[in-house]
Amino acid sequence: MFSNATKLTVIAERLLQDRLIDMLYAGGAKGHTLFDGSGKGEHGDRVGDRASVIHDFTIVQIDAVFGKDHQARKVAEEIAEDVFIDYAGIVYLSPVEVIRAKRF
Amino acid sequence: MDLLLDFANSFVTQLRSPTLAFLIGGALLAALGSKLTVPDAIYQFIIFVLLMSIGLHGGMEIRDADLAALALPALMATLTGVVCVLLGWLTLARLPGIRFDDAIATSGLFGAVSASTLAAAIVVMQQENVAYEAWAPALYPFMDIPALVLAIVMASLHKQKAKAREAAAAGGEVVAVKRERVKVGKIVKDSLRGSALSALILGLAIGLLAEPGRVYEEFYEPLFRGFLSILLLIMGMEAYSRLSELRGVAHWFAVYALIAPIAHGLIGFGLGYVAHVLVGFSPGGVVILAIIAASNSDISGPPTLRAGIPSANPASFIGSSTSIGTPIAIAVCIPLFLALGEMVFGAT
Repeated sequence: MFSNATKLTVIAERLLQDRLIDMLYAGGAKGHTLFDGSGKGEHGDRVGDRASVIHDFTIVQIDAVFGKDHQARKVAEEIAEDVFIDYAGIVYLSPVEVIRAKRF
Repeated sequence: MDLLLDFANSFVTQLRSPTLAFLIGGALLAALGSKLTVPDAIYQFIIFVLLMSIGLHGGMEIRDADLAALALPALMATLTGVVCVLLGWLTLARLPGIRFDDAIATSGLFGAVSASTLAAAIVVMQQENVAYEAWAPALYPFMDIPALVLAIVMASLHKQKAKAREAAAAGGEVVAVKRERVKVGKIVKDSLRGSALSALILGLAIGLLAEPGRVYEEFYEPLFRGFLSILLLIMGMEAYSRLSELRGVAHWFAVYALIAPIAHGLIGFGLGYVAHVLVGFSPGGVVILAIIAASNSDISGPPTLRAGIPSANPASFIGSSTSIGTPIAIAVCIPLFLALGEMVFGAT
């Protein structure tokens, strides 16, 4: 019933949202989920609930589950090497178990 | 002497305007760690209503305006934006310890236009009964977009030159470096799609093509002042919270942010004056041109520059514009250029 899969999570500024989603799909993702976020990191506080004059600098989290682990690794490396040189953000993988493996 | 006294007098009166009180109040709240927050959705809505209102009013007036009269001020607006960026390149970018990319991104932002400063200027001018062409705010994109495009193109050219130099130094022979073309079309499209400019342009179109007189008078116009006061409160809070970022970058950015709005406003005033002499651009219009020249983009410009010049440190250009440039433009430049207008053109 359950199959192994790899979830790729990337947290970045909203500015990069479209570019990152394109990279996920180019790397083999079949879907994604986007969350609005707030938090704190090396680049300071990121507010979520209050008015941010520059909307594009608030953060989002994008999740995508890959059926093939090597695809997820490749995309994560691409994001780290191409995007996170100039922009703040993190990307990580986690093992997950999915039902209906055909969907991923 | 009388002239100077008049000038000082009207300057001091402007300093006591409610506009400024809300801006300072916002900064004070943030400084004291107040828990008061304005939800993001409300902020977005306020920007929409303010710019839509300015657009509708302008659009209704353009219908009766002689379009030829608009051409020269638009050209002057573009020229102002370009000269401001070049000025930053000639001054800020050459100072010791300043990275070229940071300097050019900052110049681009200060050459571009702030919707909040424009809205604040309009309220003050209405209060003072200063007449201006209602289409004057439509000069916004003519100054904003060329400044942002020029800054991004200059940063890209600089990067290519640096790469070519590196390649020449490393290989001994000149290797043809692959030229990366700046996608000007994309920058223009992104700017026009930004929340502030889309609302302004839609308003202009509706004002021009439809008959929005009643909805403007009964809805947009009465809300304008109140919404502006909330926007300025937000800008004040943002200014204070970005101040800490500025501490991490070279002090020259703070110096530039103090001087540039006034210098840019004078350039805009001068070029506007030329349009006044040549095509009869109104004194109020000249003041609007000077104030938008003095303003620096705080809403739509930063993401455009961040995407266009990724190597520039956002703390330098956003810190200097939001925490120093915008307060200076609103608190100092609006009264300054109104007073200058009165001095140059007499009672307007």
